[in-house]
Amino acid sequence: MPEVKLIPEKWVDRYGDYLFNFTISRVNDPIMAQDLVSETFLAGLKSAHRFKGNSTERTWLISILKRKIIDYYRKINSNKGKAEVRMSYLPSSDQDGDWMEERAEDLRNPNVEDVIEQRELGEALEECIACLPERYATIFVQKTIDNLETETICKEHDITASNLWVIIHRARVQLMECLNKKWHKNS
Amino acid sequence: MSKFFINCDQASILSTREQYGDLNPKEIFRHKLHRGHCFKCRSFHKNNAKFQRTLKGLRWVSLGIEQKKLIKKALKEAMSK
Repeated sequence: MPEVKLIPEKWVDRYGDYLFNFTISRVNDPIMAQDLVSETFLAGLKSAHRFKGNSTERTWLISILKRKIIDYYRKINSNKGKAEVRMSYLPSSDQDGDWMEERAEDLRNPNVEDVIEQRELGEALEECIACLPERYATIFVQKTIDNLETETICKEHDITASNLWVIIHRARVQLMECLNKKWHKNS
Repeated sequence: MSKFFINCDQASILSTREQYGDLNPKEIFRHKLHRGHCFKCRSFHKNNAKFQRTLKGLRWVSLGIEQKKLIKKALKEAMSK
């Protein structure tokens, strides 16, 4: 396996959105998610000397991010105190603890099921993307999620358009197989 | 003849490119022609289109340009220390 080198200058462009998606599905707060992603990069930079090159940059950054997310939950849990748990269920609500029965989600409501299914599908897809070779994953995400122009991606990775389409095609085939396996296993 | 007929490898790449709206009319025609007589590619194209619909249906969030700039700035400052 070739030695993996860290390139912090490219982290934000290469992994920013991926880490942000990963975080937002777990903390459900865009501002906090952005802070956690930023902290992850800084922590990665601090501990760069400890990176052995056994995993990819992305896997390594994700492992740092996971610890950050755990720390975040530990912190908010300790802030809550033992006697009182203040929760705001709706972003529009000024009052904490507005958890009236009518505000609870009705699981029989098809919209709620759709949302849950979409979230599960999104998480399954994230896992599948993480299993792709790093180059495939980066190019697939840039083209499919970030909607970058073919030319821009080709320039960044120094590849031809034909190469790009072969990579995207292979990535998609692997993702379809992976999703089929995960979906059938879960259902 | 080779202007019109393509093999399955080429057809599968065209199928993927089609999901991103990257085909020109000639390529669309060649791809259709191939699918007309190839069950395997017809089936692959159907699954490929379904996968694309799934991807489009997912809510992807991404960092804004300003947010990225802020993170890059913080990272740059940390690197220069």
